[in-house]
Amino acid sequence: MTNDRKIRIVLADDHGIVLEGLRALLDSEGDMEVIAATTDGAQVLPLVRKHTPEVVVLDYELGGMRATDIIGDLRAMPDAPRVLVLTAYHDGETIRSVLESGAEGLALKTASPQQTLSAIRQVVDGQLVFPQAARRWLEARGTRGGIMDLTAREREVWALLAEGLTNVQIAARLSLSENTVKFHVQHLYQKLGVKNRTEAALRHQGPGGRSGPPRG
Amino acid sequence: MTEQTQAAGEASRRLLAAGERELQRIVLDMHDGPVQDIFAAVSHLQLLQRDLTYEPEAARRAGQAAALLERALGEIRTLIGVFRPPGFERRDLGAILEGLTVQHEAMTDQPVECSLDESLGDCSLPVKIALYRILQEALANGHRHAGATRQTVSVERRDGELRMVVTDNGRGFDSPKVLAREADVGVEGGHFGLRGIQDRVAMLGGRFAIDSAPGAGTVLTITVPADA
Repeated sequence: MTNDRKIRIVLADDHGIVLEGLRALLDSEGDMEVIAATTDGAQVLPLVRKHTPEVVVLDYELGGMRATDIIGDLRAMPDAPRVLVLTAYHDGETIRSVLESGAEGLALKTASPQQTLSAIRQVVDGQLVFPQAARRWLEARGTRGGIMDLTAREREVWALLAEGLTNVQIAARLSLSENTVKFHVQHLYQKLGVKNRTEAALRHQGPGGRSGPPRG
Repeated sequence: MTEQTQAAGEASRRLLAAGERELQRIVLDMHDGPVQDIFAAVSHLQLLQRDLTYEPEAARRAGQAAALLERALGEIRTLIGVFRPPGFERRDLGAILEGLTVQHEAMTDQPVECSLDESLGDCSLPVKIALYRILQEALANGHRHAGATRQTVSVERRDGELRMVVTDNGRGFDSPKVLAREADVGVEGGHFGLRGIQDRVAMLGGRFAIDSAPGAGTVLTITVPADA
């Protein structure tokens, strides 16, 4: 991803007024564009398939659905978007369920919308955006079931990294930009709970590390 | 225990659960109404502020209005945090207490060390409500009044009893004096803290001990029958 490209966003919130306000605000940012927005949770997956955004911003409750119900499907996509969940609740259960669903971040509706903007930029940079207080669960996410949490693209990157390829070589092999690869690698470290390439490669030899042949 | 006392005890416990249901309804109304409206209004105002580059005075007003609404949102955040019941019926005791410590840390940036028995199991609804609300009060007291920088909570189960110990390294206080001051609270009374904790424990036939002195931190120990 180069710097002159805008972050492409799909927005879903069952409150029409929030959708309208947030959409206007995001569109006015120089580095973001909302490519689709919906108040209907059932529309999220089709819209993401159609537009392949980098980030999906989901309200925690989407009519009769929960954001956490569709995150699994989003993450299984070949080019899985980053997922940011918007919620008015910041209790332990909400934080934990968002974190364990595999979302990249959480932003509060009881805080300034500016925080939502920052959180979008942070998840695009490969960070996980959760309250510091949730670190015990974040650590658990890195080690327990982290492998199950990997997107198809992250598994491909992991397999090539384990073969000893550099980021530049991985980028060439998968027809991605080097920045995008860096971003997947950083994410991989967080999910596997490792600090560097060597540890990530070693984990790949371990149980469950065989991710099969990369899909093109 | 006479039949009458038992009936009164059961009635109080039903009232407690009803109170939690009522809180849930209020929080939901706040969530579905004001929170969404204010969040959307702040988005529009921030956009307006940006569009008014050539009208500095008007831009300043838009920014001021946005800041006021953000402050209102912050207050609602605190209220939702305090009043929203944590799904008592759906979740076990360990999960709701651990969730509460994380929420407290998230709101105050103050670490809470949480150690729960592996085999804590579950307990009756009134006990769950009581322990949750007591821990919430104790953590808030440690943060607000005692200026604590570190708090701990531990819960263990022994012989059908649950024992919860909450400590802080704050400035401590003269507990008999505070309890005496709180003895006479009516509906108009201002502060239910310690007395409220004591009443919740008494209703379940449990025991309550507070060990604190000025300059010495505070240790609160609650023991209740798990199935009260």
